[in-house]
Amino acid sequence: MSVLTRTPQFHIARLRGRNNEGVLLGIIALLLLLIAMFSPGTLSPAMFADILRSSVVNMALALGVLLIIISGGIDVSFTAIAIFAAYSTVVLMRSIGLDNGILPFLAAAVIGALLGIINAVLVAGFKLQTLIATLGSQGIVRGALLAFVGSVYISSLPSALAQIGDARLTTIGGSAVSVLVIPVILLAVGLAVVLRKTMFGRSIYAIGGAPESARRAGIRVGRVQTVIYIAAGALSGFAGMVHVALVGHASPFELVGTELTVIAAVVIGGASDAGGRGSVQGVALGVVLLALIQNSLVRLGVPGFWHTAVVGVVILLGVAIQAQSRRRRSKRSTILESAVTA
Amino acid sequence: MKIVRTASAIAFGVAAASLLAGCSAGIGATTDGATSTSTSMTNIVKLSGGDWFNRMETGNQEWAAENDFTVNQTAGDDSSPEKQIAIISDTIPQKPAAITVVPNAPESIEAVLKRARDAGIIVVTHEAAGIVNTDADIEAFDDEAYGAHQMDLLASCMGDAGGTYAHFVGGLTVTSHNNWVKGAEDQASSEYPKVKSIGDPISSDESADTAYQRTKELLATYPDLRGILGAASTDVVGAGRAVAEAGKEDSVCVIGTSLPSTAGDALKTGAVDTITFWDPALAGKAMLTIAKKLLAGEEIVDGTDLDIPGYEKITQSPDSATTFFGTAWVDVTAENAADYPF
Repeated sequence: MSVLTRTPQFHIARLRGRNNEGVLLGIIALLLLLIAMFSPGTLSPAMFADILRSSVVNMALALGVLLIIISGGIDVSFTAIAIFAAYSTVVLMRSIGLDNGILPFLAAAVIGALLGIINAVLVAGFKLQTLIATLGSQGIVRGALLAFVGSVYISSLPSALAQIGDARLTTIGGSAVSVLVIPVILLAVGLAVVLRKTMFGRSIYAIGGAPESARRAGIRVGRVQTVIYIAAGALSGFAGMVHVALVGHASPFELVGTELTVIAAVVIGGASDAGGRGSVQGVALGVVLLALIQNSLVRLGVPGFWHTAVVGVVILLGVAIQAQSRRRRSKRSTILESAVTA
Repeated sequence: MKIVRTASAIAFGVAAASLLAGCSAGIGATTDGATSTSTSMTNIVKLSGGDWFNRMETGNQEWAAENDFTVNQTAGDDSSPEKQIAIISDTIPQKPAAITVVPNAPESIEAVLKRARDAGIIVVTHEAAGIVNTDADIEAFDDEAYGAHQMDLLASCMGDAGGTYAHFVGGLTVTSHNNWVKGAEDQASSEYPKVKSIGDPISSDESADTAYQRTKELLATYPDLRGILGAASTDVVGAGRAVAEAGKEDSVCVIGTSLPSTAGDALKTGAVDTITFWDPALAGKAMLTIAKKLLAGEEIVDGTDLDIPGYEKITQSPDSATTFFGTAWVDVTAENAADYPF
């Protein structure tokens, strides 16, 4: 009814960004300010490098999750796919004596894509609920890894792969910046372009926002879903290999268990768990925010017993802010509607 | 409508199939248990696979071959207490003669162990000193004595100058790890006044990468950090990697519980100085031997000889009548790592 209140809100909304990116940036800045106040020596170039280091794998994983969350689904199998792809690639390399720095990343992505087909069949083919479907495939993939591929901790990687993992782009304040940052950034930019500029990218938003309308508009929902679950699998496989190369060993027990942190980063980054919303920029900020928290607690002298709780509080705050602003946004759109009808 | 019906039919089919699969597995297991009620034992460990529990399984099978029992090892696919509770619950109806349990969080499995004992199953535990619902708990050593021993190694490595040290634990709820922390702290305060702890232990979540990231923070935050003690087997791997990257192999001592296969090259390069452990194969055998003695009606008392190296004269805990200690720790440096091929 009251059209008058629209204009100022519109400006704030623009500053806030399409998916609250502005608010997230604000929170990150506020946190940095707090850290600078409480522990002035903490903010160092080395800390920046450490945050980058701990963001790389989560960012690569988050890209796949973002695709699926925008499409209105949820995926909890991606960490299992990631470690399955990476660990089996290393096992395969050792058994055939292959030593290469680039091929393992491609191989892991291919294995990831193949595993993604399981999810695609369950979700696009059998129309199962995505949470339950991927929970099931997580168990299958994890179980198959431990039962058929191996459960042994491999303490040294093939040398060319180990070299890629150790290769430094540059060194900031004594902390190395891995070259693996580059492919992850390229993938992120690529995905952002696909999401914003291509017909396919817009279809993902469409099926997430209103599946029935998307179907009636002529989007082949099943086909789009198939492609994104396979793409997410490939991204996960790649991310798993980045993890293995960075840590310098292959353990089938790693990564699984971190999926909720990655999902939290994506949701904090503005992706709506109801679908149809989210951006690569937002996800990058969400990942950095969580890495910032996780990498500053020891520096701030927060006792070990409080670490988990603090991370939980930040996740809750981030998600609450997103939910709150979504509610406000939906209110705003009803006002718009009434303005149009009036 | 048609689509909905087909989908639900398929969902029903999948559910029915998995139910059948579940049933057949259950029946198989029960029959197996029924035919060998008195001669089967189940070893329930923290996490399936991994070098540590694979080595325990080696010991289990050696023992099983020498004694007329069958031994099966089982565990959850991650180290969560909830999954372990579920696995113990599932084991009870199979009626093994005894279960030998390595708990993730001893307090959390008290209730389910009580149910096992009420069902007439002998319960022997390990890494759970002071646990109530057990017939006997066998520790490779008194945890605090072991922690003190690690502190002796650390203090001698750090030299006369002393300095500060940080302690990693696999999880803040792991009793044994926290007892080692206390033993080390007590030993430092009574014997080595120049060796100071930075404060609460830090959780590595049993992940080498987390230990690595936290160590980088520690090195940045505490310039006088001279030592790191690890409790989980991957802690020294991650910590050693961070120390080596910082070029501080010589000035920072990294000592902790691990295995030669897990520590890998880190011992040779000097990133990790000394690892200590107890042989899980012998611990597995000790648990089974106790179970066998109890089944035969023998009593376990202070000074009982289990006829296993390090467990020839076990001592009773002053705090708990059912807790016994061996003296079965092993120190391994680059020189003698080859003697322990696991």
